[in-house]
Amino acid sequence: MRRAPWVPLLYIGPAAAVMAVACLFPLISALQLGFYDWSMGTPWAEARWVGIDAFVAAFRDPAVWRSLVTTLIFAAVCVTAEMLLGIALALALEGDLRAMAFFRTLFILPMMIAPIAVGLTWRYLFDAQFGLLNALLGVLGAAPVAWLAQENTAFIAIVIADIWQWTPFVFIMMIAGLANVDTAVLEAARIDGATWWQTTRRVKLPMVMHVIAITLLMRLIDAFRVLEVIYILTFGGPGDSTEILSLHIYKTAFVGQRLGSAAAISVLLLVVVATLSWGALKLSNPLKEGDRA
Amino acid sequence: MKRRTLIQTASGGALGMLAAGWPLPGRTQDRYAKYRGQTVVMSIPSHPHYDAMLKLLPDFTKQTGIKVETDRLAMARMKDKQLLEMSKPSGDYDLVCYVVMWKGEYVKKNLVRDLDPFLKNPALADPDYDFKDLVPRYVENIGLVGGPKGYLAGPGARLYGLPYGAETSILAYRRDLFAKHNLKPPETYEQFERLLPEVRQKTGLGALTSRGQAGHQCVHAWLLHLNPLGGKIFDDKWKPRFNDAVGVKALKFLKLISDTGPVGIPGFGQGEMITSFLQGQAAMYLDSSLIFGQVKNPSVSKVVDQVSYVVHPRGVRYASQSGGLGLAIPKNAKNADAAFLLLQWLTSKAQDKAVVRIGGVPTRTSTLADREMVTLYPEFITLRQQIEYSDPDWRPIIAEWDEINIQALGVAVSEALTGKKTAEEALNGMVPKVTDIMKRGGYLKA
Repeated sequence: MRRAPWVPLLYIGPAAAVMAVACLFPLISALQLGFYDWSMGTPWAEARWVGIDAFVAAFRDPAVWRSLVTTLIFAAVCVTAEMLLGIALALALEGDLRAMAFFRTLFILPMMIAPIAVGLTWRYLFDAQFGLLNALLGVLGAAPVAWLAQENTAFIAIVIADIWQWTPFVFIMMIAGLANVDTAVLEAARIDGATWWQTTRRVKLPMVMHVIAITLLMRLIDAFRVLEVIYILTFGGPGDSTEILSLHIYKTAFVGQRLGSAAAISVLLLVVVATLSWGALKLSNPLKEGDRA
Repeated sequence: MKRRTLIQTASGGALGMLAAGWPLPGRTQDRYAKYRGQTVVMSIPSHPHYDAMLKLLPDFTKQTGIKVETDRLAMARMKDKQLLEMSKPSGDYDLVCYVVMWKGEYVKKNLVRDLDPFLKNPALADPDYDFKDLVPRYVENIGLVGGPKGYLAGPGARLYGLPYGAETSILAYRRDLFAKHNLKPPETYEQFERLLPEVRQKTGLGALTSRGQAGHQCVHAWLLHLNPLGGKIFDDKWKPRFNDAVGVKALKFLKLISDTGPVGIPGFGQGEMITSFLQGQAAMYLDSSLIFGQVKNPSVSKVVDQVSYVVHPRGVRYASQSGGLGLAIPKNAKNADAAFLLLQWLTSKAQDKAVVRIGGVPTRTSTLADREMVTLYPEFITLRQQIEYSDPDWRPIIAEWDEINIQALGVAVSEALTGKKTAEEALNGMVPKVTDIMKRGGYLKA
């Protein structure tokens, strides 16, 4: 039976429309806001049209570029570490070993904790006077470290907190991906005499490359949006050494009350994230049939 | 309603009021009667003074029949929520607690109400309120907008809020340690500068605790020393002068505090700063008078009976902090009159003493002079003197201050504290940014 051409549209249309509105409306609003000078708490009618001034100012502002560099380094370090650790953990715990369910549950707990709580927890752990880390250093006879009071250690602190919270996400995705690897292929590799390392490198990982790509993509996007943990841990300091772009946008919008400028910087962030996402999808795009192993 | 039920309800209410010690007929009853059953929604911070206030609210409801709901948020997140609520045609808040720095912005954006009409309304105002008894420096600093510079008392100033949780800076020191090592608390900044390394060396503890985290916290710490040393952020024509010799000297002094203080000051917020002193990691504390109640609380303090207070040392002048919290009624409040009644009740003489008894801070001169209160808090004697030195122009409370405070000076001061830049480099480097902000705000010619 021949299907009318409008039937797929009827099925897909409503969902596509909702998605379009949900995704595009905030985006267009942000873009529109970038052309106005508007402060929260004042009527929109009083917003002043400033054209592309906010975008030009964002490009010229050295604080924005410093913040972008910090964000790129933060994202690169965190996502690389999380991907490596998450994949390694998944490979270690993918089998049917005893107590594996317990470890799997244990490893995903950090991801379930609210970011504000994560920030507070790590702030106490890194506390220079009463924190657990310095207490451990004290046991070893080392002097206390002012973790959040020095640029390098503060950056390490926010990286550790992010890795602690989000490695479990990579772990879950990889566990799911590895569970779907065809056992016949693995069996064939084993019969051919492949070692564990060869099987992992040449069979398993290529077969889950689309999962890796999607996980990488999601983590990249999230790493650019992280806000609460850094807000609580360092508030972007010392100086502006841990002020990643999302925190800079937050401060511009809610401290400086320059919502137009914040929107303009958000558009810049969107461009960066979109470019990186495109790069990640080039690695292995699960939406393309041909890319699938 | 049956006649018997009505009589029972009426007599029950009257008995209840008598039991609560509330004067019955006439003015008091009339003032609240119209609003009985209404609910006042308050936006409050997580803050020791407001924690104490929460314990008083059931009494208010019992006495007036007006219910109170509170929305308690971290101080840093409170403003975003308040701005959102107050910019709606009809907001959820009837009474908002605000930090002094926000008063100019809230008035400029027409978000809060002038309190004069309420205070002059005989149907609402308590004739025994005694407005003049409110500490005048607190009222000026927290409540007045529109006067000289936009935030000082004088021609054009109008009252938009009342102090509730107001504070000034005071020097607390460990009496036991100072006696043991034969040390004297400083009276001047010269003595202070010499004392810091000496305390560190003799006691082995951090000399003075301080805030230092990037943003508002480190700027607050710097302002504590900038003002007594004779500095200001702007000159009389709103041109930045914070990078002059005094500004640099104050920042170098803060760096000395960081170097001789408990480990980690450049990462300290207000919480860490206070905890450090309360837990015996620092020998001195120079910050908000809010500390009185906490020092006496054994559940948070290890130094309960070991602390004495002196006035904030003198530089070229006495100039202690003026700041803290106040209460205002939003323009879009649904129950503005009931909110005013709550505001008036909380800041009344009786309730001011009541909140102090349970760990809050005083707002009234009569509380500071009250014999029972002084017995409970002998430090009120020093506080009375300190308030006289409280500088209402301690920081420029203009709408642009938050941005200057957090995004400009908050970065510069922090960079100097960590040693990334010298005090001169850090402050000079922020002059163009602050100048731009002031041009944008219309204070300087573009």
